[in-house]
Amino acid sequence: MGETELVTTIEATGDPAETPGARELVLALADDELCIGQNLGWWIAVGPFLEEDLALTSISQDELGHARALYGLLGDDIDAMAYGREPHEYLCAHITELPCHDWAETLVRHFLYDTAETVRWSALADSSWESLGAVARRALAEERSHLRHATGLLDRLLRTDAGIAHLLPLFDQLAPMASELFDAPSGCSDGALVAAGVMACEFGNQLARWQDIVGDALAETGYQPQWVAADPEAAPLGGRAGRRSAHFAALHAEMVEVLSIDPSARW
Amino acid sequence: MKTYEVFLKRAGKDPFTHVGALEAPDDDLALSFARDCYARRSEGEQMWVVAREDLLVADPTELEMADRAHRHNDGAFLRDLRQAGSAEPT
Repeated sequence: MGETELVTTIEATGDPAETPGARELVLALADDELCIGQNLGWWIAVGPFLEEDLALTSISQDELGHARALYGLLGDDIDAMAYGREPHEYLCAHITELPCHDWAETLVRHFLYDTAETVRWSALADSSWESLGAVARRALAEERSHLRHATGLLDRLLRTDAGIAHLLPLFDQLAPMASELFDAPSGCSDGALVAAGVMACEFGNQLARWQDIVGDALAETGYQPQWVAADPEAAPLGGRAGRRSAHFAALHAEMVEVLSIDPSARW
Repeated sequence: MKTYEVFLKRAGKDPFTHVGALEAPDDDLALSFARDCYARRSEGEQMWVVAREDLLVADPTELEMADRAHRHNDGAFLRDLRQAGSAEPT
């Protein structure tokens, strides 16, 4: 379908939520939030200090709240969407599936993920899909405090030699994976979403903005992040196309543990 | 790490109330941790975070000295007077 034709179709139906690819976009973002929220929750009681335990798990709950709000845009049975799909039906980026049980890894992923979120929520804040715009605006307000936490710790640690030696190699490993956050989900044409006003700018544009933000944050160290993995074949991405990473099965099993014991459980 | 004291104020006329303390490496992170430790469930609509070293701390002996029985007025004296008065025919 040409762009003009698409716009005509959208004007005819009048509902931006029906734009081809809009549901896949929301599903991908919701799946990201679900997995990152579940993974951050692991830190309860095992963080490096009490305040950090509470901070990470409070952020975890914020992210799960975003997942809930996003799934809620797609239907009423949020649990079925969050827990009841086949692995290949999830569209999350692989970086959200990583356990990151090393705190430094969690910090670097948290920084990369929340800067990326700030960029993509900003691209949705004025969405023609009004309820999506409302979710994005609320989430943006919370992102400010997530970013204050991530950048506060990162800036401080990058002022020490030990911090630089420990953290910068993690960027080599995680930044290429985080770039996948800006891949188009299967069946989603960002040109159509931008034309319909669902999203303010295309994924490539968002990716470039995110890379600038990350690059600026690390500029003082003289380090230039690598955006493409040294050996992409070692851990092929494709999360947005339904390909799950090696970590997904365990993560999903943990998420559905209660539900599989008692399908009628409420929480 | 420095120790900070956290105060919250709910909506309305309630004053700021001390809710607890935390440790943080600097002021910015103290504000960040305070939000996550004490205000993540919207317990307050305003928050003060104060480095403990910036608090003016009174000498406890001055407070002990202030404990004098005659400053406590439980109203018993006036109550007894009134009761005695109302028992008399008018």
